[in-house]
Amino acid sequence: MASLQPTIRRVSLRRPRSAAAPADVAETVTEPVQQATFDDESLALDIAANDPIVAYLESASGAVELATLDLDSPALVELRANGITLVVPLVSNGELIGLLHVGRRRSDQDYSADDRRLLETLAAQAAPAVRVGQLVREQQAEMQARGRLEQELAVAQLIQQNFLPKELPQLAGWQVAAYYGPARTVGGDFYDFIELPDGRYGLVVGDVTDKGIPAAMVMAATRSVLRASAQRLQEPGAVLARVNDNLCPDIPENMFVTCFYGVLDPATGHLLYANAGHNLPLVRSGSESSELRATGMPLGLMPGMNYEECETTIALDATVLLYSDGLVEAHDPAREMFGTARAVEVLAADREAEPLIADLLGALESFGAGHQEQEDDITLVVIQRREAAPSSALADFELDSAPGHEREAMRLVGAALASSGLEPARLERLQTAVAEATMNAMEHGNGYSANRPVRVIVSLSESEAVVRIVDHGGDHAIRAAATPDIEAKLAGLQSPRGWGLFLIEKMVDRVDQHTKGSLHTVELAMLLKGGDDATDDA
Amino acid sequence: MNELTTQLEVRMPAPGVSVIEISGEVTRESDGALADAYQRASDEARTIILAFDKLEYMNSSGIGLLVTLLVRAQRSRQSILACGLTEHYRQIFELTRLDEVISIYETEDAALTAVA
Repeated sequence: MASLQPTIRRVSLRRPRSAAAPADVAETVTEPVQQATFDDESLALDIAANDPIVAYLESASGAVELATLDLDSPALVELRANGITLVVPLVSNGELIGLLHVGRRRSDQDYSADDRRLLETLAAQAAPAVRVGQLVREQQAEMQARGRLEQELAVAQLIQQNFLPKELPQLAGWQVAAYYGPARTVGGDFYDFIELPDGRYGLVVGDVTDKGIPAAMVMAATRSVLRASAQRLQEPGAVLARVNDNLCPDIPENMFVTCFYGVLDPATGHLLYANAGHNLPLVRSGSESSELRATGMPLGLMPGMNYEECETTIALDATVLLYSDGLVEAHDPAREMFGTARAVEVLAADREAEPLIADLLGALESFGAGHQEQEDDITLVVIQRREAAPSSALADFELDSAPGHEREAMRLVGAALASSGLEPARLERLQTAVAEATMNAMEHGNGYSANRPVRVIVSLSESEAVVRIVDHGGDHAIRAAATPDIEAKLAGLQSPRGWGLFLIEKMVDRVDQHTKGSLHTVELAMLLKGGDDATDDA
Repeated sequence: MNELTTQLEVRMPAPGVSVIEISGEVTRESDGALADAYQRASDEARTIILAFDKLEYMNSSGIGLLVTLLVRAQRSRQSILACGLTEHYRQIFELTRLDEVISIYETEDAALTAVA
């Protein structure tokens, strides 16, 4: 570190501004640093937009030794003339926005791999900050024309939009939709999708208290730290703890960040999540609504916090809604709040992701929140599980609807899961449930009709063996008339029959039902590491 | 497709005790055969042992049939025992609480000893 200090120079390179600057010229301002103090002398370096060094640096993956470059570049000549030997490009969203550059080491030795890594880490962290600074500066020319407050809001909005995802993730078998509607005063809402190295996806929704530029900057910082931590740490609780520890020293007083962070395995629907005091996401699955509950303090209040980690499996056709308080705390003219109950009601219509967002905004509008100025940012993120990723299926077959064919389903499910690691006794239980559900599907779903087969899909996730049984019966959720009771049956108070659903529920660890159009699906799941069976040997 | 059907054999190993040996499946299709076997078994017996050693498959409809059988047995003051159940079906008997009204034994011999 010490040997680097005398020659570190802080450089910012302005992007060409369409109005104020000629389109083909980019301008850099260099402020040399000596003995770790800034002096007044500054070096301005103009780099033409068509200088080959721009394209070279935009695609460079880290520190670049100027001595190794062979480019017809006036900027390169000027950099060398200023004694600069090594540069690290500052790149934000694929664009070169500045250079971190250093001269020769005092010791005259070459920069070591450690030195370069340090510079690269510094550059990666500096880039978003420099970008924010540039965005602020880009707005300065207009500052005088408009009122200062208006201008600040515009900057905040610009920062905000610059740090929201440009596109939605494409996940096989999933529908994803997102909406961000800034309040006039711009709050600090944000959302993010983070692609993780193991194929899972990080889902983020957060909200910075306070408004305007300070909130937008804290939001930008939170997002950057969260992205970096998510790549390094697997567990969402650990990620939030790390972000919290990072934010605490620097966050302005009286400001904090609420944030939900979940890690979704798109192949299985498994969601591991933690929550730093953010609104609880809502889940609609079958005819049930629930909340994803996990406790934790908001980020930035005090260091060393722990975040509870919970997990769930998002069932087929289930919908998860992540949102900010701009939704549930919107007021009507009588100051009544929209509330979660109304959001749950809208979710219950079981709409696709995009129309669901339109419905939620429509419900807000008709609630009366639209008659007055929007008080807070509104963020909505919807994820829906539509079908199993085909690659994860171990078996996928159809059976004609005829009595006795349920045994074929048992046999094929048994064969598909033979080497799944599921204990034989638990596999047998799953098979019994499969037989019962298949009988139901053939009889009640398909009416034993020859041209209506039952489809059976077997898949395996990290934690569960899952069998889906699909019939054409539409919305005919299987339901027992009454919980079977042996005494009532023997006393003639209940039919001797009616054991099917009871058996299914007792045999497996999880049962879900969904209807999509005319297709009715029963999903049966068995934990691979189970053994906590309802009954042990007598 | 596996065309296993129900085969029921009725024996009387001791006075007043009948054994219905069940092979194959107990499903809705077994209704007539099971009722018939029960009829034959009950002629001179107060105790009926259901031997499940050769059971291949019993589903919820089959459990319904057993309950029907139990209702009849209660009316005619007969007791019903079971033996030869695999661990899996034993567990199902426990979950359905059938084990509270049908005494379960490991083997036919154990059941016979118990009623002797």
